[in-house]
Amino acid sequence: MENTIKVERAILSLTQDDLAKRIGVSRQTINSIEANRYVPSTVLALKLSEVFSKPVNHFFKLSETD
Amino acid sequence: MDSKKFLDCERKRFNKFIKFRLPHTFFNIGIAIAALAIVAMFIRAFLIESDAEWLKSITKQVLLLGMLVMSISKDKEEDEMTIALRAQSYAIAFVVGVLYAIVLPYVEFGVSNMVHAGGESFKTLGDFQVLIFMLMIQLMIYHNLKRYR
Repeated sequence: MENTIKVERAILSLTQDDLAKRIGVSRQTINSIEANRYVPSTVLALKLSEVFSKPVNHFFKLSETD
Repeated sequence: MDSKKFLDCERKRFNKFIKFRLPHTFFNIGIAIAALAIVAMFIRAFLIESDAEWLKSITKQVLLLGMLVMSISKDKEEDEMTIALRAQSYAIAFVVGVLYAIVLPYVEFGVSNMVHAGGESFKTLGDFQVLIFMLMIQLMIYHNLKRYR
């Protein structure tokens, strides 16, 4: 799974910590998601979608290995 | 109550049970309990002259309790990732613990008999040794998984 959360975050001028606080997780979790080390749950993906005001598949994409 | 409602009620109760975690402050309480038990073990070993078997078994149980409290305490910033990492650490600790319990008695027996002829006889591990090892591995793996997340 690949994602463009870093880009979406930059568009809204949010730091990792800001985004983490908005969706109720730790900054390290946001860092791991951005680095593709952790695939978030549907709930967390929908929370991100709410913050970015975009559908989930706009910033999450399946990679070739998925 | 019909069977569907009864099943829902059971499911809710079971989910509540498996999601149970102590608040983060209990982690420090766990450390204090474990430290106290270790100090008591040293006092028993070096300062008390009688054998005091009762004290030995109590300190072992207190040490296990302290580490269990540490293990089931929530993280400072608990989220779905820390929950996933904790589950992973329990799985690894379980597998490593079983392997430890199987392999170590043979290693001890082999080494003891290699060093001097007619060494120790073959004996299996006690429950305390296996449980403390599993708890230690779980805490260590969880700490490392969090560090490298």
